[in-house]
Order: sequence, then structure tokens, then C-alpha cells
Amino acid sequence: MAKRSPRGKRPPATSPSPPSAPTTPPASQKPATSPKMTPAPTVAPAPSPKFWFGFEVSWAKLAIGRVVLFGLLAADALLAIRHAPRYGAGGFNVAQLAGLDGLGPTHASYAITQLGLAYLFVLAACGIATRYVVPIAAAGYAWLYFGSQLDSYQHHYLVVMLLVIGSAIPWQRPAGATARTPVRSWALRLFLVQLAILYLWAAISKMTPAWLDGRTLAMQIVTAPDRMNLRGAIDATIGMATLSKLVLVTELGLAATLCWKRAWPIVAPVGVLFHLGIVLSKFDIGLFAWLMIGIYGFVVPDRIWIALAEWPPIRVLGRLGRVITGAGWIVAGVLVLGALGLAMLVRLPYATGMATLIVGVSIGAAYSAQRFAATPQARVAKIGAAALLATGLWGVVDRGSDVATDYYRFWGGSSRRLGDLASAERAYRELVAIAPDEPVGHFQLGRLLLDKDPVAGLAHLRTAQHLEPSRARAYLAEARYLAKQGTAAAKAQALDKAREGTFAEPSSSEARALVDQLTKGTLATPAQDDP
Amino acid sequence: MISSIVQLTKTWRGRFILAIVASQLAIPLHYYVRHRDPHDERFAWRMFSPMRMSKCQATWQRDDQPLNLGGEFHEAWLELVERGRFTVIEAMGAELCKRYPGARIRVSLDCTYLDAPAEHYGGYDLCQVPEL
Repeated sequence: MAKRSPRGKRPPATSPSPPSAPTTPPASQKPATSPKMTPAPTVAPAPSPKFWFGFEVSWAKLAIGRVVLFGLLAADALLAIRHAPRYGAGGFNVAQLAGLDGLGPTHASYAITQLGLAYLFVLAACGIATRYVVPIAAAGYAWLYFGSQLDSYQHHYLVVMLLVIGSAIPWQRPAGATARTPVRSWALRLFLVQLAILYLWAAISKMTPAWLDGRTLAMQIVTAPDRMNLRGAIDATIGMATLSKLVLVTELGLAATLCWKRAWPIVAPVGVLFHLGIVLSKFDIGLFAWLMIGIYGFVVPDRIWIALAEWPPIRVLGRLGRVITGAGWIVAGVLVLGALGLAMLVRLPYATGMATLIVGVSIGAAYSAQRFAATPQARVAKIGAAALLATGLWGVVDRGSDVATDYYRFWGGSSRRLGDLASAERAYRELVAIAPDEPVGHFQLGRLLLDKDPVAGLAHLRTAQHLEPSRARAYLAEARYLAKQGTAAAKAQALDKAREGTFAEPSSSEARALVDQLTKGTLATPAQDDP
Repeated sequence: MISSIVQLTKTWRGRFILAIVASQLAIPLHYYVRHRDPHDERFAWRMFSPMRMSKCQATWQRDDQPLNLGGEFHEAWLELVERGRFTVIEAMGAELCKRYPGARIRVSLDCTYLDAPAEHYGGYDLCQVPEL
């Protein structure tokens, strides 16, 4: 690698984190400019080994890749909040690394950290203070991942690695850079090498008969009513064994070529199609496949991103953005107030408090930077705009997914199963408050309250009966409560309720059994465990 | 190649690169050359591997009576038990030994694999022998 002759035709415009090794420009190096990239304001010859320290991409690619990568990570962080209730539940934890069990996140700290990460990723996507934001996000992400084996997604480990490496990538616009300006980054090269190593090991793990004959893949690609019949399409065409071999060959090919720039016009479409196939298979891996597709943006040839960045509508958007973010404290204040207002509408836990805290810290940092480091005022409005974008994303993910309701439902369910009824009641009250039209909250809260506040409990059960008229469970819960009262009148009412349950859900064997038991007077209270 | 590595050792950036690359080559290798738990594929980049398709059934007993773990641990931990993760099973055993002092906590783990014969692990008191 070290013996490769320097290309010399594309001097880097800027090298925000130049290697410290002293270098002498080779005699063959010509300070000419590329026809595709603008000449450099400052030219620093790349030290050896050039494979690492001479790696360049256009500013357009780095900027667009930054927006896509950190935007996806922000959305992924918000979607992970639904898993927060499992952390610390029952006072038990096993960390990924021995000896760290006691340092694992709790359910509150997990949710708060993911909200904070989503915010930091939006700041990074906007190119704000990335030298600080990305390492802080890496530390937070690493704590969540290494803190507990409950996080069994290998791609979260990959994200930790990419964030650690990404902390050294110069994500912010170098002074005077245009879309065509080349930016040199050894860390971005390492970013791609990390992916190549991942593909290599993934391929090695598949070099077994159980993979090569298609059995493993056949168990993973299953046909379900809500999925396209991918399995049928594969079986009718190339078959699972051939597809399995193709996957292995593709991973080996990507491992071998991902770092070879000349192969990128082939690597990019192959990699994107490979991960689109994973998206279609709907493996339960969150946004991993989309994240990988986003990362392939760094492998797409520069000229495509340059053309996109120079497309007139994008330039107009860029100018508009610069006008907004170039404004001063008044516009910044309006944007921040808008962000806080949006955060108050978000149903995710701790959203308002976190937004207030982070915006406060950001404004404080911006003021300090302006006051003590003569930072241009433009940064202040940019922070306001990023805050608005971040809380806007919180709102979009909240309203466009089940994260908030899942969070309270899972919290209530795990607390109930582990015997913490006070915590379960709190969770279900929150669920009813944010989603009054969801029957599950009323049903579970009603069941929980029957012993200590039967009037409220029955009211919630009846609301659930109204909201899910084709399910028997709320009728049966009320019937069991009435039967427990022991009086003849209550037993008659219980039988009526149980019968209503069979009308609501004729296929419910539990409802029919309850009617039978109440009719014969042989009722034994079963342990019902609906999620 | 050697001269490149030598050059890399001269700067902090180079040493950082070497540390990342070396660790990413060595850590997954550990799974293949020296692992105690075949089900534990963490850090080995073995996504969708045949081992991931293995299924384990754990039978827990407290003083020779069946023990229902649903009220003891979050169901996510029970899912990891079904994947045969030794460290998790051992930690759960240790926790149960702590919660029920003096009790015998026995776990038997029966696993089936796509590409290997079924295996049996444990079957003894984890409070006496804490490792599977």
C-alpha cells in the first residue's frame, strides 16, 4: 500500500484533521486540479500510507452521507424507546462485559438517553459541533449497548464502532468548501474497512453445510399473511440453496471490494440491492438494513452526489437554510420556542424535560462560544433550527409509530408480571392518558383497579368493552369480578356478562368455558395474562 | 505492508487505525478458536448464522420443585435463555441463589441445532457449581 504512487491530481481542499506525520511531497505530485473538484484553498500532501491518509471524498458526499446516516440513527434511537421498560426490570441485569452489571441502564435512564441521542444525532446531521456531539453520542450509545445483554442487536455494536470511528471524521463544512471540494479523511476510510471486516466475518460464519444447503435461510424467510410472498418467489425461482450461496458470495465480494474506489460503481448497487433484499425479508432487525443502505451513500461515486448538490432546487433549499440559520438571537428564540412547543405535544416519556434541558445547554454553549470564542452569530439560529428539527422528528416518530403506547404497555405488562402493581398502575394510567381510544390501557387498568377501586375499575372495563366490541376479555374480567362478590344477584349478572363475552367473540373458548362454569357453579379463578 | 504498519505506529491516528483493525480481526476470531459457549455469537459478526437458529429449552427447579421464572425475570431474559446464552443463565442462577438462600437451584438446558446433534447442559445445583 505504501508503495502506491500518489495520484496528485486531486489535492485536498481542506484537511480538518491532518495527520501529524511530517511528509514531503513526492516529485511526481502535480498540483493540478481535478476537472470534477474545485481547487484547494490549502494543499497538504497526503502522508503515507496513502491508503489511509490520502483517502478523499467530495464535500457533497460527506455532507449528504452525514445527513442520511445521523438522520437514520436519530429515528432508530427514538424507535428503541419502546424497549426501555425491560431495562432494570426486576432488579436484574447482565452486562455485555463482565463486571459492568451494576452500571446498566434503568428503564428511565434508557429512555432519557435514547431521547438525548436522537437529539444529538439531529445536531450531527445538521453539522453542528460534530467534534463534540459525535463523541458524546458514541459514549451514550456505547453505555446503552455494553450496559446490558438485553440489547442483542449486533448492528447496535456496529453503530458503536462506527460512532467511535466517526468521532474522527471531519463532518463539518471546511472553510470555503463547495460541493466539489475534496475532503481527506483517514477515519472515513476506517469506517469502510470496518464494514469490510464485518462482511468478511459474516461470510465466514456461513461457510457451513447448514447454510449452504439453504436450511438456515429457509428457517428465517417465512411466509406471513402481512408479508409479500418472498419465500414463494424464491422457491419458485432460484431456490433457497442457490440464494444462500449467492448471499455468501455477495458478502465475500463486498468484503473484498468495499475499500477499492474503482469498484464502487459496481459495489454500490450490489450492496444496496443486497440490503434491500434484507428489508423485503422483514427480518426483525429494526432499521439496520436501512442504515446499511444509507452507509452505501459513501460508496456511491462522488459525481452523483455532486450533481445532486448542484441541482437547482437543492441549491435553493441550501440558500433558504443559510438565510434562516444566518439570523440572530431573535429568530433563534422563535425557533427554540417552537421546538419546546413541539416537545410538549410529544407523547414520548420525558420529552418536554429533555427538550428543555438540551435546548438550554445548547443555547448556553452557543452563547459561551459567541461571547468567549468570537463564534459567528449564525450558529445561534442554527442551534434553534436544529432544535426545531429534533423535536419535530420526535413528534413524527411518536405520531407515526406505536413507540409511545408500546412503551407504557410494555412497562405496565412487565411490572404486572413481576408483581410491582403500583408501577403497573402508573404505566397504564399514562397509557390511558396518551391513548384514551386504545382498549388495552382501559382493560389492564380496569383489571388492576378492581380490588382497590371497583367503581373506577369497572368503568375502565366498560370503556374497553365499548372500544373493542369484538373481544371477550373485558367482559370476562367483569364477569369474574361479579362472580367473586358471592351474592345470587351478582352471580346472575356475572353470567349475563360472560354470555355477552361469547357474543362479542364467539371463537373464545375461554368465554364459553366461563359461561359453562358459571352455569354449573364450578368457577375457579384462572390466571389471565393478556399482554 | 510491513512498512505501512510501521508507519502507522508513528502517529496516534495510525495507532488508532491499527487498534480498531486488529481488534475487529481478533475478537471475532475468539469465537472460532476458544469459546466456552457456542450460542454466544456476540462481537463475532455472525448475523443470521445457523447457530442463531438453535433452540434451547431450560427446566428450572428450586429444591426439586418446578420454578416458574415468569414472575422472577423480565421475559426478555427468558428469550435469551431460549437462545442458550450461558452467561445469562448463570447470572439468573446466581440471582435465584441470592433470592432463595439455602435453596438448591437446578437448571437443565436442552438445545437442538441445525447442523449438530442435540446437546444437554447443566442438570446440577447452580448454587454449588455456578457455571454450565
